[in-house]
Amino acid sequence: MTAAAPAFEPTTRVDDVGGLLAHALADDLDRAFEQVVRTYQDRIVSAAGRALGDLPRAEELAQDVFVRAYRALQTYDRPRIRQLRLRSWLFAIAMNLIRNAVRNKRRPTVGLERADGTPLGLADPAPSPAALVERGDDWERVGLAIRNLSPKLHDAFVLRYVEELSYDEIATALSQPLGTVKANAHRGLASVRAFLETDR
Amino acid sequence: MTERLRNALDAYRAHTGRAASPEFAVGTLDRLGLADRYLVIDSALGPVYVAWNPRGVSAVRRSADPDEFEAWFRHRFGRRAFPTSGEHAIAELVRRALAGEAVDVPIDLRACTPFEAAVLRKAAEIPTGHARPYAWVAREIEHPRAVRAVGSALAKNPVPLLIPCHRVVRSDYTSGEYVFGADAKSRLLEAEGLPLRAAHDLVRSGVQFIGQPDDGCFCLPTCGNVMSFQHATHLHSIDEAYACGLAPCDLCRPVAA
Repeated sequence: MTAAAPAFEPTTRVDDVGGLLAHALADDLDRAFEQVVRTYQDRIVSAAGRALGDLPRAEELAQDVFVRAYRALQTYDRPRIRQLRLRSWLFAIAMNLIRNAVRNKRRPTVGLERADGTPLGLADPAPSPAALVERGDDWERVGLAIRNLSPKLHDAFVLRYVEELSYDEIATALSQPLGTVKANAHRGLASVRAFLETDR
Repeated sequence: MTERLRNALDAYRAHTGRAASPEFAVGTLDRLGLADRYLVIDSALGPVYVAWNPRGVSAVRRSADPDEFEAWFRHRFGRRAFPTSGEHAIAELVRRALAGEAVDVPIDLRACTPFEAAVLRKAAEIPTGHARPYAWVAREIEHPRAVRAVGSALAKNPVPLLIPCHRVVRSDYTSGEYVFGADAKSRLLEAEGLPLRAAHDLVRSGVQFIGQPDDGCFCLPTCGNVMSFQHATHLHSIDEAYACGLAPCDLCRPVAA
C-alpha cells in the first residue's frame, strides 16, 4: 500500500482456491470439506473474534458457520455446489450468525430499570466509550468505531475494509445490489474516519 | 482515506486477526462426523486398529504401525483418523464385543453402497457358533444370483470381527477368502465352536442338511443348533428332509421360503 495513493481502496485478496474447492466439494463433499475448513478457518475465527471479542466464543461461532455450511451443502446438487462462490458464501453465513450473536449479547438479561422507570443503579463495569477513546491507540479507536456502526453500514464496511472482499463478493454475501453495498461501505468508512480523527 | 486511517485499519486487522486453535478443524470435523478417532484394541487375532466417529465404528484393521493405518484410512474413507487415548464409551463397547460379549456396537456404513450395506447387515445377524454360505446371504437379501457380489461386499467389510464376515463361507463349507487370511477365518470359527472341517467332510460325502427328528426340523450343517442335536440324521436332499416329515429350521433357514 503506497502512501501516495490518492483514492484509497484496500487490496482485494483474491479467493484463488475457492473455485477449485467448490469443484472438489461437488465431487466428494466429505473428502473435500476438511480442506474448506482449513482454508477459511483463520478468516472466519478472526471475523467472529472481532465482533465478539472473546476467543472461545468466537471459535464456537466459527464452528457453527462450518457446520451450517456443511449441512447446507448436503442438500445442494452438484452443479449448485460447483457454482458456489465459496468465500462470500461462508462470510454470508458468518455475518448472519455474528449479527445474531451480537444482538443477543447486547440484549440485557435483566431489566435495567425498575418498574417505576428509575434506573437500577448498577455500576457499569465496562469503561465508557469516551474513556476508551481518550487512552486508546488508533487501531482500538477503529475497533470501537466499527462496533458503533449501524447494522446497515457495519457489514458492508467490515467485509470491504477489514475482510477485504471484493464488492462483487460482498454483494453476493449480503444479497444486496452492488451500488447499495458500495454506498454503505463508503458511508461506513466516512463514519469510522470521523470517529478516529475527531481529536482527543 | 487518510494515511492515519489506512494505518489504523491495517493495525486493527493485524491486532485482531487470529489463527484458529490447532483443535479447531478437528473439533469441527468431529461435530460433523467427518473426523475419526482410533485406538489399538486386543482381539482374537491380536491387536487391531479401531476407528470411530459420532455415527459409529468406521474401521477395524490390522496395521503395521499408526502411519500405515492413518494412510490407509485416509485413502479408503477420504477423512482423517486421529489417535486418541483415554476412556471412550464406544471403545469400551468395541473392547467387550471383541472379547466375545454380545453387545450392540453402532457401525458407520456410510462408505458402503446400499447393496454392500445390505450384505453386511445380513452377515451381522449370523450368531456366534454359526456359519452361512455366500449363496445363503445372497438369497436372504433377495439377490439370489449375486453370490459373487456378496463375496466382494464382504471382502470390503470395513469392520471385520464386529460384523462377523468370517461366518460367511463357501457352499462346500471351505472357508473362502478373508481379510485377515483364510487360516484366521477357520481358526475364528473353530474358536467359536464351529468345526468347519467336519461340515466340509459331510458335504463332500453328499450330505446337504442335518435332520433333528426330536425337534422336527432340518438345518444347514453349519447351523449352531446342529451341535446340540441328540439324534441327528444326515439328509442328502430337500426331498429327503420333507419325506422324513421335517420342517426347515427357523434360525438357519436352510431353504428358500
